[in-house]
Amino acid sequence: MMETTAEDLNRVEKKNLFASGHRACGGCGQALAARLVADAAGENTIACVATGCLEIFSSPYPDPSWRIPFLHSLFENVSAVASGVEAAYKALKKGPVNIIAQGGDGSTADIGFQSISGMFERGHNVLYVCYDNEAYMNTGVQRSSFTPYGAKTTTTPMGNRTRKKNLPILAADHGIPYVATATVDDYRDLQRKVKTALSILGPKYLHILAPCPLGWGHAGDLTVHICRLAKATGLFPVFEIVNGKVTNVLKIPNKKPVEEYLRLQGRYRHLFQKGEPSGMVAEIQEIANQNIERFNL
Amino acid sequence: MEKLPLGLALDLRKVVPYKTGSWRTMKPLYIMQTPPCTHSCPINNDIRGFLRVLADKQDYEEAWHILTRTNPFPATCGRVCPHPCEDGCNRRDYDTPLAINSSERGVGDYGLEHSLEHRKEVLTPRKEKVAVVGSGPAGLACAFHLAKRGFGVKVFEAAREPGGMMRYGIPAYRLPKDIMNREIEAILRLGVELECSVKVGVNIALDQLRQDYQAVFLGLGAQMGAAVNIPGEEAKNVFTGVGFLKDINSGKIPEVGRNVVVVGGGNTAMDCARVAKRLGADVSIVYRRTRVEMPAITAEIEEAMEERIMFRYHTNPVKIISDEDRVVGLLCVQMELKEADASGRARPLPIPGSESVLPADTVIMATGQEVDYDGLDNIGKRDNKWISTDEYLMTSLARVFAGGDAVLGQETVSAAIGQGLRAAAAIEDYLEGNVESSLASPPVVYFKDMNSYYYTRKKRFSKEAIPVHERLKSFNEIYPAFAPGEIIDEAGRCLSCGLCFNCRNCLMYCPDNAVNLHPATGKYEFDYDFCKGCGLCVKECPCHYIQLTLEK
Amino acid sequence: MLKYLEGSHAVSQVVAMCRPNVISAYPITPQTHIVEDLARLVGEGQLDAEFINVESEFSAASVVLGAAAAGARAYTTTTSQGLLLMNEVIYCIAGMRLPIVLTCANRAISAPLNIWNDQQDSMTVRDAGWIQLHAEDNQEAADLHIQAFKIAEQTSLPIMVCMDGFILTHAFEPVDIPEQKEVDAFLPSFKPQHIVDPRWPRALGLYADPRFYMEVRYILHRALEKSENVIRQVSADFAQAFGRESGGLIKTYKLEDADLVIVTMGSVAGTVKDLIDELEREGKNVGLLQICSFRPFPKQEVYRALKTKMNIVVLEKSVSLGRGGILASDIRWSFPRGEQKGRIISSYIAGLGGRNISTESLREMVARVEKEPVELAFLGLNQEIIAERDL
Repeated sequence: MMETTAEDLNRVEKKNLFASGHRACGGCGQALAARLVADAAGENTIACVATGCLEIFSSPYPDPSWRIPFLHSLFENVSAVASGVEAAYKALKKGPVNIIAQGGDGSTADIGFQSISGMFERGHNVLYVCYDNEAYMNTGVQRSSFTPYGAKTTTTPMGNRTRKKNLPILAADHGIPYVATATVDDYRDLQRKVKTALSILGPKYLHILAPCPLGWGHAGDLTVHICRLAKATGLFPVFEIVNGKVTNVLKIPNKKPVEEYLRLQGRYRHLFQKGEPSGMVAEIQEIANQNIERFNL
Repeated sequence: MEKLPLGLALDLRKVVPYKTGSWRTMKPLYIMQTPPCTHSCPINNDIRGFLRVLADKQDYEEAWHILTRTNPFPATCGRVCPHPCEDGCNRRDYDTPLAINSSERGVGDYGLEHSLEHRKEVLTPRKEKVAVVGSGPAGLACAFHLAKRGFGVKVFEAAREPGGMMRYGIPAYRLPKDIMNREIEAILRLGVELECSVKVGVNIALDQLRQDYQAVFLGLGAQMGAAVNIPGEEAKNVFTGVGFLKDINSGKIPEVGRNVVVVGGGNTAMDCARVAKRLGADVSIVYRRTRVEMPAITAEIEEAMEERIMFRYHTNPVKIISDEDRVVGLLCVQMELKEADASGRARPLPIPGSESVLPADTVIMATGQEVDYDGLDNIGKRDNKWISTDEYLMTSLARVFAGGDAVLGQETVSAAIGQGLRAAAAIEDYLEGNVESSLASPPVVYFKDMNSYYYTRKKRFSKEAIPVHERLKSFNEIYPAFAPGEIIDEAGRCLSCGLCFNCRNCLMYCPDNAVNLHPATGKYEFDYDFCKGCGLCVKECPCHYIQLTLEK
Repeated sequence: MLKYLEGSHAVSQVVAMCRPNVISAYPITPQTHIVEDLARLVGEGQLDAEFINVESEFSAASVVLGAAAAGARAYTTTTSQGLLLMNEVIYCIAGMRLPIVLTCANRAISAPLNIWNDQQDSMTVRDAGWIQLHAEDNQEAADLHIQAFKIAEQTSLPIMVCMDGFILTHAFEPVDIPEQKEVDAFLPSFKPQHIVDPRWPRALGLYADPRFYMEVRYILHRALEKSENVIRQVSADFAQAFGRESGGLIKTYKLEDADLVIVTMGSVAGTVKDLIDELEREGKNVGLLQICSFRPFPKQEVYRALKTKMNIVVLEKSVSLGRGGILASDIRWSFPRGEQKGRIISSYIAGLGGRNISTESLREMVARVEKEPVELAFLGLNQEIIAERDL
C-alpha cells in the first residue's frame, strides 16, 4: 500500500521502470500506458502480466524491458497468479508491496473473466490494470468482447455487431473499493489514478484505453490525439467509482460528433463508403449519446 | 552467450537491452525555430526569450538583459513602437496576441528603476574607431552595438541635445523626456563619446571623418518637413509638422490660437494635432484620402479620436487664407477616390465646386519629411530623396554606412534601431574582412504547425489610459505604470513558439522511454539507440520544437 | 502417534505439519475431505497459512504458481476433471521450475462421468515435467507428502503425490502421524532460488524463442532424470528419521525366485501381495515389482530388478486409448534392444472407473499369462453388455 499525500498524487513520475528496448510498434498506446503505470507504481512493485501484446513485446529472454520484478505464466490466469503472490506476501509476512496484474481484452474480460471475478470477489489486495485496445491484438486483431460496435476486425470483417462489455461497471458490482477509467493522453490523470488505487486496500480495477495504431488503422503519432477524440465524443467515459459511487466524471464541454473520431481509423473505413457515413455511424452516435446521458458527461 | 538461469528466471539488473533504434525510418530532432514575433520585429528582438524568462523565473533583470542584447531602448519602444510583433504573434490565431509592447515597456521601466547596466560582449578594446553621425535611434543603436563589441565610437549630433526624432519629434506625452534621457545615458556609459551641436557636412566634413575613423555610420533621419507648395504658406503660424514638433520639444511653445488645422495622415500629423489639443485649441485633421489609407499607426489615430480631434477625410488643402499675414482659414476641396496610384493607394481627385473654408488660427502641414543633406550632396540617393545602400548597408561612399529614416523613408523608431543594429554587424564584418554575414536565422514557425491543445485561453493584459480630460491637461504619459505582476501574468501567455518551454510532453509520451532529461544541462535529448521514430513527440509538442527528418 | 483416520485426513494433517504458506483448492470428489480438513485447521488457528477458496481448479493451480513464484511453500490438491482443467498451468509450473506439491486423488476421467478410482487422470500429465509418486496405502500417502516437499525444494521440480481416490482417501486405517518437531527436523524451511521480490528484481516467465527453448526443455528433462537420486536419498533419509520404509523409486515383493512378475502401481499392490502369498502356498512363485516413482521413470532400477525375469505382466489402472497400456509401454521400453528375446511382457488394463480388482480376477490373469503372452487385455470385461458392432 502506498502512502500518498496530495502532492504525491499529482506528481508526474518518470523512472524508466518499464525501460527502452521493448519490441512494441512505434506509437503503441499499450506500451505508453504500461510505462506510465510502472513509473507511477514505483520500484516496490511486482508486475504480473498476462500473455498478450504487452507480455510478448516486453519479455523475451534474455532482454526484457521490465526493471521491476515481473511474473508471467498464462493468458487467462493473471488475476489468479497475482492473488497467489498476494497470498504469499501475506503468509510470509513480507511487504508491503504493490502487486499489479496487467492484461488486455482477453485476459480481462473473456478468457480471463473467471479469474478476475474470483480475485475481486475474494478481496485480494491487487490492482488490476486492463489495457483496452478493443481486440485481440497480439494474435492479429481478432474481435474481443471489448471490440466496439461497428469496428472491423479479422473475425468481424463486416463490422462488429455487439456492444462493448462494460467491465468497469461489472468490476464495481463485485463490491471492490476502487474502479477507474483513464486514457493515455492525460498522463497526469492516469498516474494519479494508479497511485490512488495503490493507496487503497483491496481489489482495484483500472481500465485504460490504449489505442493500437496497427489494429485501429491510424498513424503511430496519432495515438494521443485519438484518445482525446474518444473522450470528446463520449465513446470512452472517464470516471472513478469509489466504494460503489460514480465520481470524478470527466465532463466534456465541447462534445465532438463520433464521425470525427471514426474517420481517422482504418477499422471504421467500411462505414464511409464513397465518403458518406453509413447507418452504423448513427448507431455509434447513439451509443455515445447514451454514455453521455448515463454518466452525465 | 550466458548460461541459462534456473527456470529461465532472469536477474533484471543484468539485462542488455535490445536497440530498437535500428527500426527507425524517421528521426526526431529538436530544432529551434524563429517565432513570428521576432520575425516581424524590425530589430529581431528575442521576444520569446524575454517573455519566457519573465514567465518561468519572474526575473525582470534577466529579461532586460535578453531584450537589451538587441534593443537598447526598451522603455522607449515600449511606448512608441507600433508593435508589428503583436500582429505576427501566433497567439492571435488562438485567442488574443500577447501584449508584447506593454511587456517591453514593463521590462524597460524596470531597467531604468534599477539602473541596470549594459554588458559588453568584447571586453578588450579594439583598435578600430567608428564615427556615428546623428544621435537618433539609428545612430545610437549602431553606437551601442559597436561599443559592446569593443570598438571606440564617437557620435556627432547636430542639435543641442541627443535623441533625434525621439526628442524633437515625439511629444512628451508619448515618450517622457526623462525616460529617453536615461536610456541614452545608459548607452553612453558603455564608453561612447558624444559631441553635440556639431553638424557633419557643415561644421566638420564627412571626408574628414572618413579619414580619422575606420568606418562612418550616417543616422541622419528625415527631420526636414517637405514643402507642400500651396499658396499662402508664407503666412505666420503656418508650420511644417516636424518644425512645429521641434519647437515644442525644444521648449518653444507657439501661440496656436483657437482653431488648429493639421494637414496629413502620418504619425507626425497625429502628434501635431494632439499637442495642439493640449495647448487648448480645437483641432481638425485634414486628409485627402480615408482612414484606411492613413499611414499613422492605429493607436495614434484612435487616441487622437478619443481626444476629440476632428478628422476630415476626402479633404485637401487648396489655399491658406490670411489676414494681415496671419492665418485665418484654410480653403479646402473635397476629393473623391479613383483607382490606385503609384503608392498603391486610391488616387484622390478634387470634386469641382466643393470648396469650403475651414477656420484656422494655425495651419500645420505634416505632409512629408525629407533628409537634410546639407554638405553631404555627393552621397548616392534613390528616388532622389533617400540614401541608397547595398545589402550590407554601405552607401555609395566606401566605408560609409547608413540606416534609419534617411534610408528607409519615414519609418519607425524600431526600424531605425534595427538598421543601426544591422549596420553595426555589417561594419564589424567589413572591418574583419568577413564576407558572409552571420545573419541567417532558423525558419519561422506558424500557429498551424503547433498543438494548441496544451494552451489555455486567458484574457489579455489591457492597459487603461487615464481619462481624456485628464490627459489634455498636461504632457504627462497617458498610460500609467503597470503592476509588475500583471506583466508576468501576461508573459505567461507566451506560447514559446519554436523553443522548448519544459512542458515534458516528449518525456512523458514516448512509449519507448527514448526521451531523457539531461541531469546537468536540464535539456531534453533523444536516445537514438531506442527511438523508433513513431512521431508521437512531434505531434504532442505544443510549440513545434520537434521535427521528423528522414533517417539515413 | 498412531491414529485411526481417513486417508484424506492423514494427508491433510501431515501436509499441515509441513507448514505450507499458501493453500488453494477447489473441491472435487474424492479430494474434498482434504481441503475441508485443511480449511478447518487454518480456521482453528492450528495452521498459519493463507487458504484461498478459488473459483476453479485452473485458478487453484494459478494461485499456487503465483505464491511459489513469490517464495511461499505452496500446496494444492485435485483429481480427474480438475486436473484436466488445470492442464495448462501444470505444464507452466514445471517449465517455471516451481516446487509445488499437489495431491492427486486418482479418479476416472469423463466422459462418461465417473467419480471412482483409476489412474487415467495423472497419466494425462505424465509428460509435463512433474515428479509423480504413487502411494500404496494411507501411511505411505502421508509419508510421501513429507518427502515430497523436501524433494521438490531440492530439485526445483513440482511433485504430484498420487493416491487412489476413495480406496485410500475414504478408507480408515491406522496411520502413524509424526510429531510437528519431527517434521520440522526433517523438512527445513523453504529457501527459494528465484522469486519475484522488489529487493532482487527478477523476471519469471519470459518467452524463449527458437534459440533457447530447446535447451530449456533439455534442462528440464535432465532435471527429472537426476531427481531419481534425490528421490532415493530422501526416502533413505526418511527411513532413518522416522523408522519406516516408504517412497523411493521401486519396491519389490518376493521377486528373487519369481517365475512370473506382476508389475503395478498404487493401492492394488496390496491385493497383489495377498494373491502372491496365496499362490506361494499353492506352490507358485509369483513376485511383485511396485513402481513408486512413475515419473521420472526408473528405467535402470526396473531393468536391474527384471533382468532375469522372463514372464512379466503389467497390471495398470490406465490406458492410452488406441495404443494400449501406458505403464506396460514404459516397462517394455526398460529393456535394451535385442535383449528381449524370449521375454514376455503382457499388458493388463484393470479397475477402470472403480471396477473392483479382487484376488479372484487376478487369479484369472495369472492363469492366462502362465499359458500365453497377452498383448493387451482388459481384466474382467463383461462381454455380455458389449454389442456385436463394438467388439
